[in-house]
Amino acid sequence: MNRIVVIFIIMILFSCGKEDAKKTIIKNEKVSVITVNYPLHYFADRIGGDLISLQYIIPADVDPAYWNPNEEELSLYQSTDIILVNGADYAKWMENVSLPTSRIVNTSASFKDELLPLKNVASHSHGPEGEHQHKGVAFTTWLDFEFAIKQAEAIKDILIKKLPKEKLVLDDNFNQLKEDLEALDKLMLEGASKLKGVNVFGSHPVYQYLSRGYNLKIKSVHFEPDTFPTDEQWRGLERIVDKSQENLMLWEGKPNKKIENKLLELNIDILVFDPCANMPAEGDFLDVMEDNLIRVRDRVY
Amino acid sequence: MKQSFYLAIKYLVFYKFRTSVLVLSIGLILFLPIGLQRLIAESEQQMLLRADATPLVIGAKGSSTDLVINTLYFEQEEIEPIKLLEVEALNSTELGYAIPILSVFKARGFPIVGTDLDYFSYRKLTLINGRNLQYVGECVLGSEVAKKLGLSVGDAIVSSPENFIDLAGVYPLKMKIVGVLELSNTPDDTAVFTDLKTNWIIMGLGHGHQDLQKIEDPTLILKRDSTKVTASSKVFMFNEINAENLDTFHFHGSLEEYPITSILFVPNDVKSATILRGRFGAKEMEEQIVVPSAVVENLLQTIFRIKRIFNMVFTLVGIATLIIIGLIVVLTLRLRKEELFTMFTIGSNRYKTIEIIGFELLMMILLSVSIASVLYGITGFFIEEFIRQFII
Repeated sequence: MNRIVVIFIIMILFSCGKEDAKKTIIKNEKVSVITVNYPLHYFADRIGGDLISLQYIIPADVDPAYWNPNEEELSLYQSTDIILVNGADYAKWMENVSLPTSRIVNTSASFKDELLPLKNVASHSHGPEGEHQHKGVAFTTWLDFEFAIKQAEAIKDILIKKLPKEKLVLDDNFNQLKEDLEALDKLMLEGASKLKGVNVFGSHPVYQYLSRGYNLKIKSVHFEPDTFPTDEQWRGLERIVDKSQENLMLWEGKPNKKIENKLLELNIDILVFDPCANMPAEGDFLDVMEDNLIRVRDRVY
Repeated sequence: MKQSFYLAIKYLVFYKFRTSVLVLSIGLILFLPIGLQRLIAESEQQMLLRADATPLVIGAKGSSTDLVINTLYFEQEEIEPIKLLEVEALNSTELGYAIPILSVFKARGFPIVGTDLDYFSYRKLTLINGRNLQYVGECVLGSEVAKKLGLSVGDAIVSSPENFIDLAGVYPLKMKIVGVLELSNTPDDTAVFTDLKTNWIIMGLGHGHQDLQKIEDPTLILKRDSTKVTASSKVFMFNEINAENLDTFHFHGSLEEYPITSILFVPNDVKSATILRGRFGAKEMEEQIVVPSAVVENLLQTIFRIKRIFNMVFTLVGIATLIIIGLIVVLTLRLRKEELFTMFTIGSNRYKTIEIIGFELLMMILLSVSIASVLYGITGFFIEEFIRQFII
């Protein structure tokens, strides 16, 4: 009799343990999320936090827009629950790969009619019967912080759809992020107002949304920070620079000394404005943008 | 009785040919209606299984039967294409998710089905070898395709030109086989699966070629300025996609405008399906939406009518055959008149004679029933293969 009672108790304890293990297993099956660039990763992390399993696999030394994942990396994208994409033709690698469409979330879908077409893009056509332009759009959408908020909202919406029970937490997290992005927007407006009368140039065509969103009228060239531009490129810049006015060129990273000196000769100041497309070595997206905007506001060149 | 049985067997064995002919005839007459019944029942079940496993199909307005046959069985009936942007429109309803299908081309007699990865997870298709699609230019074979063509992972298969009159209209593309699916006993076994974009490349909507900005040969360029190059038709288009030229592949125009043949829609639940069908009914969308099981059931009703006709024909043939067999038995008895008299003379009474002949007939019938049963059993082994080959 005693033996039977002991066995019975052990069976109950065993079955309880099994249930706990089962519950633990269910709890650990988080929604997996992956992105095509760092800003989206940052937004997803701020909103989803511990509720999601977030991965970032883009190497630090590449531009995510032109990165090509290998087979193993592509398999990771294929097996993830939510693939957050920037839209606006970002991540060229997506054109030639197979991904499950139902898991892709285009974070810029809500403002796709406001995307900016690329100008002066090298294109080609086949045969004389007609033009077949490579129609492209500018893709650094997050540099207009109103768009960044919309992209974050798209992330919030999909996470709520997947985790309806966590709606309150997700809404709360999103609102906090929104406040931070609105603060950046305000800071940028302040900085833009101080750039009135200044001719602003972009060293690379990545500032289109910054230009439009904050009325900066940025003219872009195609310089690289480590490569001294050709004579033709310098001539192209000289044609659009007004030396009698204040000129400022935005760079993604600090250009080398030779380029800096040449720009100063042309009366062009340099300001580093990092689009933060990839994960920074230090800090996070907010830190990088705040640094950018403080430099703009305080005219720290 | 044992003696009558013995004599009956000996008689039947002695006249082997006549016994075999009679037994086979009766056996076949018994088998044909039940065999056909089984074939039709199995076909109905297979077709309905496939249709029931597909909740909704959307396509251009026209024949719903052609749309369903194209989408479910990859029969590539002529149907009007729709645009890829309909997939996004359906996904934005949040009533479920849409899986695009593009089934127009063939590769060595097997249909090439362009779709996306959602199709494999929805149909629960698993791989027996290799991996799933990753890059354009790759394909995954159904198990029957791999078996019949003797192909496996690492081999290649070339798409067939659409027709020999317009060889330039489509681009035969050499596709790398990256995976082979497990046998599923569905039309997926006889398909060559690719990404949608690979199909569009075959159509000529996308292609890869040398960088035109770097070409020196003047015969390849019609016109060039600082931002645009116009290439001549002499520029070579790659007919195979590999790691070296993958980046050169591109599409002209917006992918949203590109064609697909249909959409397989997976609703969240019954209510979502009803709401979506209501929107199509209210003409909010231009295309048609069909419930595959309803279309297939209609089709099967027609087959059911034909089955009744066949059954009637078999019955009449059966009656005629039995009459002929009866006539043969009667004529045989007449021919055996002397034999029967001899049996009577050596002491066999009338009832014994009847017993012997009765046993002969009984054994023939039993043998016929056995043959019919064996044929019915054999049908069971091959019926699925037969249906897949000739019916579905």
